[in-house]
Amino acid sequence: MPHDTDTTIADLVNDLQPVRPLSLRKGMCVALAMIALGVVLAITLGTMRHDLTTGAPSGAFMVSNGLFLILALACAAAVLLMGTPRVGNAQSGWGRGWGWALAMAGLLPLAALILAFANGHAAWEASEPVHGLDCLAASVGLGLMTGGVLVLWLRRGAPTSPEQAGLLTGIAAGASGVFAFSFACSIDAIVHVGLWHGLAVMLSALAGRLIVPPLVRW
Amino acid sequence: MKTDDATLARLMAMAQQGDKRAYATLLEEARSWLKSYLRRRVAPDHLDDLVQETLVSLHRKLASYDPSRPFHPWLAAIARYRWVDHLRKLSRGDEPAVEADVAVDSDESAITARLSLERLFSQLPDAQARAIELVKVEGYSIAEASHASGQCESLVKVNIHRGLKKLAAMIEKD
Repeated sequence: MPHDTDTTIADLVNDLQPVRPLSLRKGMCVALAMIALGVVLAITLGTMRHDLTTGAPSGAFMVSNGLFLILALACAAAVLLMGTPRVGNAQSGWGRGWGWALAMAGLLPLAALILAFANGHAAWEASEPVHGLDCLAASVGLGLMTGGVLVLWLRRGAPTSPEQAGLLTGIAAGASGVFAFSFACSIDAIVHVGLWHGLAVMLSALAGRLIVPPLVRW
Repeated sequence: MKTDDATLARLMAMAQQGDKRAYATLLEEARSWLKSYLRRRVAPDHLDDLVQETLVSLHRKLASYDPSRPFHPWLAAIARYRWVDHLRKLSRGDEPAVEADVAVDSDESAITARLSLERLFSQLPDAQARAIELVKVEGYSIAEASHASGQCESLVKVNIHRGLKKLAAMIEKD
């Protein structure tokens, strides 16, 4: 540093401007709003699932989509917490839930893999690969909104572990996108959900891990 | 006299609203806390720079402090991030090695720094700790460290790089 510490302190005091502290509650509200907007976009641009229009959603839809929603919220909460750092954050409330949520949602691709090994070609057909690619692309795309607001939050905040923040941002974005697009995806087969919806989360996680850290380093 | 955490949290909340007098007091307190926190972690000739860098980070990241929470854990997180960044720069070779006379300085801070470094080194494989100690603390050249440690020159470089990276990762984990 070119100055002594006294001069640096004087410069910083002169430069002080009022700031609005980051509010975790507001951050969570914005993340939820992005997920809701994703749902609206999915059913506006696509076609809403028939069982939802009749008011009787299938059990498979509720369970699998519920897992993705919990994963999205747990990871988004962990990312928001990372923006307001303090020693001990990783062990506190919101900061520790995402691992369990990831483990629960991970059961879907795991089940899909087991079925694929057991049933081979039939399982691949059941995954409906053509529709699966649509799910993959749309989910990743819809997740960008949640991912975007989380990156903006992290840039304003002070994440002390940018790599983990990037990974969790990617998972939160992917799971949000999957949750949103599932309202327009009529396939309940576990092979489809585990493979294509799970793949969307994995791809987003990878992208987050690679792209986000340089954007949020400080 | 040390200022208690609740007072610092209040000063920080006032600083977030633009109160310059409160901010000046807070920065003075932060400086003194940072000096004692970082003194045990870096060589004495890097201390002032790192304290200033951390104060600048505090300034840039004012919004990331939640006024309803204690101040010191937040400041410690900011300081630790800057320290890890400092270690990473060392591992990339962006920072010059510590001068030999600093490492053998007999004043209290140097001894404390040394003890702290040894505690950290105990968590590294012996070869990595030895390479870092010789080059980054004792000020040996790569060739001298190679001769002293019995490792070839390229292995010394690799061990320094891997060791510092591992140190940074260990510290970064909460």
